Amino acid sequence: MKGFFENTWKHRAHVLMALPAFLVLFFIMYVPMAGLVMAFKKYDFQLGIFGSPWNGLENFKILMASKATFIQMTENTLMYYFIFTAVGTLLNVVLAIAIDQCVFKRCAKTMQTLMIIPVFISYAAVQFIVYAFISTDTGILNKSLGMTTRFYSTAAVWPLLLTIVKIWKDTGYGSVLYMSVLAGIDSELYEAAEIDGANKWQQIWHITLPSLVPMITVMLLLSVGSVMKSDTGLFYQVTRNSGILYSKTQVIDSYILNAIFKNSNFGFTAATSLFQSVVGLLLMLFANGMVKKIEPENALF
Amino acid sequence: MAKKKDLDLAPSRKEKAGVGQYILTFFLLLYTLFAFLPVVLTFVAAFTDEKYITQHGFTFFPEKWSLNGVNAVLRYGKRLLTSYGVTIFVTVFGTLVGLLVMSMFAYSISRKDFRLSRFLSVYLLIPMLFNGGQLSGYIVFTTYYHLKDSLWLLILPLMVTTMNVIILRTYIANSIPAELMEAAKIDGAGEYRTFFQITLPLMKPSLAAVGFMMATAYWNDWQNALLYITTDSKKPLQLLLINIQKSIEFLLNNSNVPASARAAMGGTIPQYSATMTTVIIVIGPIMVAYPFFQKYFVKGLTVGSVKG
Repeated sequence: MKGFFENTWKHRAHVLMALPAFLVLFFIMYVPMAGLVMAFKKYDFQLGIFGSPWNGLENFKILMASKATFIQMTENTLMYYFIFTAVGTLLNVVLAIAIDQCVFKRCAKTMQTLMIIPVFISYAAVQFIVYAFISTDTGILNKSLGMTTRFYSTAAVWPLLLTIVKIWKDTGYGSVLYMSVLAGIDSELYEAAEIDGANKWQQIWHITLPSLVPMITVMLLLSVGSVMKSDTGLFYQVTRNSGILYSKTQVIDSYILNAIFKNSNFGFTAATSLFQSVVGLLLMLFANGMVKKIEPENALF
Repeated sequence: MAKKKDLDLAPSRKEKAGVGQYILTFFLLLYTLFAFLPVVLTFVAAFTDEKYITQHGFTFFPEKWSLNGVNAVLRYGKRLLTSYGVTIFVTVFGTLVGLLVMSMFAYSISRKDFRLSRFLSVYLLIPMLFNGGQLSGYIVFTTYYHLKDSLWLLILPLMVTTMNVIILRTYIANSIPAELMEAAKIDGAGEYRTFFQITLPLMKPSLAAVGFMMATAYWNDWQNALLYITTDSKKPLQLLLINIQKSIEFLLNNSNVPASARAAMGGTIPQYSATMTTVIIVIGPIMVAYPFFQKYFVKGLTVGSVKG
């Protein structure tokens, strides 16, 4: 123990240098963790989180009983996770291979630069771009197809719409990671394959795809850790937070955001929040454990 | 993962361009259009005549152009200027201080014989696994710290993120020779001097990568602003955009706009085009800056998603 203190004293400069970030993390990340106890309390605005009286599992009972909200938003969260992950990964990989295979390098590079741009547009701005396409009276979609669909009040179309928006925003950027793997493949492999008479498709199937598998596995596993979290902006901004659409668009994160603005039902919301955090933690530990088994060097911890 | 020099697309395989290549490029071009045309649409819409949009809808090929929307926003948008100031301040201050604070932390925990570093690494990692969530954060920040309506809540929550510290730490560990810092110490440089004069300058590529990602996160952050900021003079661009309907009315209905100017706009507020102009103004700076940072953030992304 004495050695430890001596070591720390010797490194006091390092302690001091770590301190600012330590404090920011403490006040921004750690203190709110303690606030999660409000899931077990009857929250009273006057008394604050720590002063409010305990009420055991009451909040969770309400949670489990409320099919309409809790079950539905959990379902939506999971549904979008699966759609986005499946479609997203597939398109990221396809796009990465396509750009990698293209021999017009300069052209491919320019196209890639343009494809990445949407990822830098905030959802607050994206919603207006989406509006221009789907608004009832002035939207390009309705005008050019001669329809009068009221997209902002037709819940059924939103899983598709949100998937398209998500793909549009993230795919260009998402493919970059896989391209960096492809760029690392030894070109002699392709040359050897060509001499052996393999055509392009065979080369992709036997060389390109297998080399991407480790990265795909790691990315998929790591994404499991954030199943419960959603791109809040996508569900809150792009849908214009339209209540009619909630059955298909309300996810846990957007529900919590709405609850904060409505200033209501904090016990229920806190229980939801705790549920989200705990499930998130378990999934993250699971994901990391799996990665550790398969690709130890890519594990987070 | 394979180490590579630069992210210049694929390895330079020599191939002749067959028919297949042209088909491939055609599909890539289609995807590029899918990605980029919506951005083009905002530009077209910003310059389209308001009545034309009302009658014919948004279009890529309007028959009537107009500068009314742009004029309205640029000439009377005093609030826009204020919001720009807020966003720029938050972005620049948050990114610079965040980079400094995170690099110091990353540097400290990468010192090999520093025993506390193991604890600090775990401390850093936990927030990535478990967090208090939005609601708890909201209540703690507003009722316990009393920071409602304070710019601190736009700055601090995005300042230190686990992933970014990991990227910086990985860079220090892999790309800066430890001997260099040893040598500086032997030459009599103190800890702080070693960090500021040797390590920090060598971290430039990783700082550029992380810095750009941070700056975009700050620039695009709407959620904290929506949750916490209520005073008009503290509202950043994203919040202005979210409240655009109200903002445009505010911009144009009040005494800022002389009657003659309003008459010139046809008596009505060019809502659609003014909104799109604002969108362009908000997303413009990042779109201009990003190509310059492209090669850095690609690297950062690679390190960050899969360490090392």
